[in-house]
Amino acid sequence: MGRPTTVIPLGKRLLPAVVAIALLLPLPFAGTAPAADLSLSSKTYGLSYEREMPGGQKDRYAPLYEYLSADAANLGGKPLSFHFYGWGRVDLDTDSGSGNTSGEVGSLYLEYLHPEGNAQAKLGRFFLTEGAAMETIDGAFVKTTTPVGLGVSLYGGVPVEYSILNNASTGDSLYGGRVFFVRTGFVEIGASYLKENGWFQEEKDRELVGGDLWLRVAPPVELTAQAAYNRSVSEMASQRYAVRIVPGATFDISAGYESYTYKGLFQSALNPAFVSPSVDKNDKVQTIFGIMDWAFVPGWTLEVAGKNIRHDKSDPGDANRGEIGLRYSYNDKKDVAGLSAAFVAADMEKNEYQEYRGFATYSPAKLRLALDALTQQYKKEINGKKNAYQVVASAGYQVLASLQLSGNLTYTQSPNFQEDWAGLIRVNYDFAMSTGGKK
Amino acid sequence: MMRRAYAVNILGAALLALLFGCSSAPQTPSVPPKHPEDLPAGRVDCLECHKDVSTGALKPYANFRHSVVFIKSHGTYARQGQNLCSSCHKPEFCQTCHAGKEELKPSTKMGDRPDRMAPHRGDYLTTHRIDGRLDPGSCYRCHGNKSDSRCKQCHK
Repeated sequence: MGRPTTVIPLGKRLLPAVVAIALLLPLPFAGTAPAADLSLSSKTYGLSYEREMPGGQKDRYAPLYEYLSADAANLGGKPLSFHFYGWGRVDLDTDSGSGNTSGEVGSLYLEYLHPEGNAQAKLGRFFLTEGAAMETIDGAFVKTTTPVGLGVSLYGGVPVEYSILNNASTGDSLYGGRVFFVRTGFVEIGASYLKENGWFQEEKDRELVGGDLWLRVAPPVELTAQAAYNRSVSEMASQRYAVRIVPGATFDISAGYESYTYKGLFQSALNPAFVSPSVDKNDKVQTIFGIMDWAFVPGWTLEVAGKNIRHDKSDPGDANRGEIGLRYSYNDKKDVAGLSAAFVAADMEKNEYQEYRGFATYSPAKLRLALDALTQQYKKEINGKKNAYQVVASAGYQVLASLQLSGNLTYTQSPNFQEDWAGLIRVNYDFAMSTGGKK
Repeated sequence: MMRRAYAVNILGAALLALLFGCSSAPQTPSVPPKHPEDLPAGRVDCLECHKDVSTGALKPYANFRHSVVFIKSHGTYARQGQNLCSSCHKPEFCQTCHAGKEELKPSTKMGDRPDRMAPHRGDYLTTHRIDGRLDPGSCYRCHGNKSDSRCKQCHK
């Protein structure tokens, strides 16, 4: 697969303008009208770890991460809000990634939410889930519902993607929409379309046609369905159908069927793990699943899940996965303890393993302690080992209402790491204020 | 030229839709952009306060009880609208997992919150070989085109 063009597409040329507009738009409102609900969240993570790789080589790493989130709602007393989320990393020792710095802007957008009817618009960079779309884009999104329940949503822009696949670059532009009908509390049914211009597998764009359904057939019973057909390769990409029963506040159960084809779902993959020869593009996965959540006594919850996974290809073959967990919440729901186990039985030994986990938290006053232990037992040796262990101990202190300091110490022994000690210092700062208007 | 025409069409349609929506929106109030009260710690149960149908999602609040059933199928609901979600969750909440070129695992960032459901606990570098073989579609949703260059160390 090759990409012959070097022409910069229109969408990507517009990118700086879109970002600049989204960034600058809040300023006039901030300047002319003081009303706004502001919040700022800073999360700083300092990591330190040394890894002894098979063969005895030892490497030390000390990356420092800063995650910043800023939100301003009720801008100028209007139903406008501004959102930013991004992170950056600098390495204080050996490079922990590609280069000694990294980072990205995850979200940067202005949002309008009409006070009635849920009409909304977004402009900037945002994460979008709408029908067949689950994308991050630099662009615009609008959605509205009419009084009779018919609605439409439209979006367009430049996809925010990252390619690590040789000779394959990200999509040039992406647009689509969804039409739907909703009757409050009873049904929502939608049809959607997505087109991403690019140079993906088979040298084609990505073009999806989707459908979705939520139907409440009786007060505690609902049916859900979602499906996407990939027109570019004339293949069903994915399907999911489920029935869910929620008879009250303590019991929740769901069962269903889902399937996807590698050819249809992975057609626009930009990661070599999802293209040949890593996977056989003619394979198909079909899964029957069931999940239950039962708060059988106040504070105690039983969680059970199981699924049967069937492949068209004998390698990797079929598998069954079962999970059971018990959770207990206490201290006015501030703390939780839990035990869980998972079992995978498969056609091939190399796909079989068991997993056991236990955790607990304890939060007296301003102190918070947590312990989390996890082990996996593999049926077939991986790098000469059949077991993996990890224990995470955490302690934190609420210094101020808006400032919390905490740290983790993690020990891992696994087929990949002979011994792995990792330390993490965490500083969380949350600030919120209202400059007027409603709170 | 084609792409310019697409962009113009999309922009025009978007503006029309917005105008249409603003002028003919039903009189039911939208879900507020921010939950009016601070939420307590732990898993949220909307039913503690809300008994009826959400004006944001137009579905019963019971469906949004944050049980393991809901958490494992939250995408189904999010694909029909994010209004109700974003009333309580800021963008960073979704993008802790649905990230771009994220480098820190959610379970690392939330090491002090073992009660939270976070993917890839433990040395997932080992276990992902199995889970990835059996159900690569679950990996693809986050790693298909929003990847970390460190994947390339093995996936060449």
